[in-house]
Amino acid sequence: MTFNRNFKVVFFMGKGGVGKTTCAAAFALKASLKKRTLVVSLDPAHNLGDVLGIELSDEPRKIADNLYAIEVDFESMINKHLKNLTDKIKEIYGYLRVLNLDRYVDILRYSPGIEEYATLDKIMEILKSNVRRRDYDIIVFDTPPTGLTLRIMALPSISAVWIEKLMRLREAILSRRRIVEEITGEKIKAIVKGKELEIPSEKEEDPIYRELTCMMEEVKFVNSIIKDDKLSTMVLVINPEVLPIIEAKRALDFLTKLGMKVRYVIINKVLKVSNGESLPKELRVKLRQEKEALQLIRKHFKEQMVIEVPLLYEEPKGLDKLRGFGEYLTKLVNDAVV
Amino acid sequence: MEYIYVELRELENVFTLLILGSFIGLPSPPTTISLRLLPYMAREIIVSMSVSGRLNDMLAEMAGLFEIT
Repeated sequence: MTFNRNFKVVFFMGKGGVGKTTCAAAFALKASLKKRTLVVSLDPAHNLGDVLGIELSDEPRKIADNLYAIEVDFESMINKHLKNLTDKIKEIYGYLRVLNLDRYVDILRYSPGIEEYATLDKIMEILKSNVRRRDYDIIVFDTPPTGLTLRIMALPSISAVWIEKLMRLREAILSRRRIVEEITGEKIKAIVKGKELEIPSEKEEDPIYRELTCMMEEVKFVNSIIKDDKLSTMVLVINPEVLPIIEAKRALDFLTKLGMKVRYVIINKVLKVSNGESLPKELRVKLRQEKEALQLIRKHFKEQMVIEVPLLYEEPKGLDKLRGFGEYLTKLVNDAVV
Repeated sequence: MEYIYVELRELENVFTLLILGSFIGLPSPPTTISLRLLPYMAREIIVSMSVSGRLNDMLAEMAGLFEIT
């Protein structure tokens, strides 16, 4: 699939509660002044609709000129992902329906990794749709808290390693089958479900090899986007406190190992006061701790553009307040937007 | 010829173990990869069951392979 390189993807990541959704929404609103923008909430605990002040659903909803938003329905997303998988299993093992055992296949929704893969599937669906239709110039993803997001981001690379090895092994199997066919002069046959079947020996005839090839193409498609820093922008959102900084540093190291570049760090909720001396003791201590946290940020994120956003008097909810918040992200928008 | 059959059978067995190994405590691919391949694995599962049935008597298995009577 040829990828249209005039389209950008921005991922907002960070610990829960640091303000990822607010930053993602404000960024998207500001970017929409220049480009057609879609903002997608992938967080199971959605806040995007609350921040925008508009009820959202699984379908793009117009928020402003050039701005659309989606809150992914996790339940439907996982059901759809599993349906594609289990329909095939139930088709092959159709007798399970007669014994009413097919409901046990539904337990698969609780398998480890299903939520991550379903989320990755959704990201792929949105990106592929935009490659085909070019509805948006920028897609902004408001991601789940760091732990889940890092597992999702790692999935394409981990899957690629597994799929590559399985393909090599499958090629070795097919090669041995061809040798047997050459010696015996006929196809290998097997009895499956009482029927005699010819066993495939060429890559084109083997449904397993075809499925592995299809999976590899999907994984390469996703990796070609998230690992290309001209197409994808990773933004870490943190608060000026030690724990979010340490978690963000770990996330940065992990993403760097995966080949993904984090170019921006937003320090959200920075307490700025004009006269620190007149403050109560508790707030002076807080300011001092914040100053130490800011120094830690400068130490750990030397290669990233660091953007400070002050703690605002009022919660930035609704489009008007988000426009105000977006002014602090001007540099990020100008840099990230084509 | 017999060796090729044994090699083919063992390769198919290893392939099945890699895909479905989580059921016996082996590290396996992300669940979705296993589930997407599972509908096509009927023959491979039959081969694996046949191999595991013979594991009780490896001596007889090797004797058969090398035609030792």
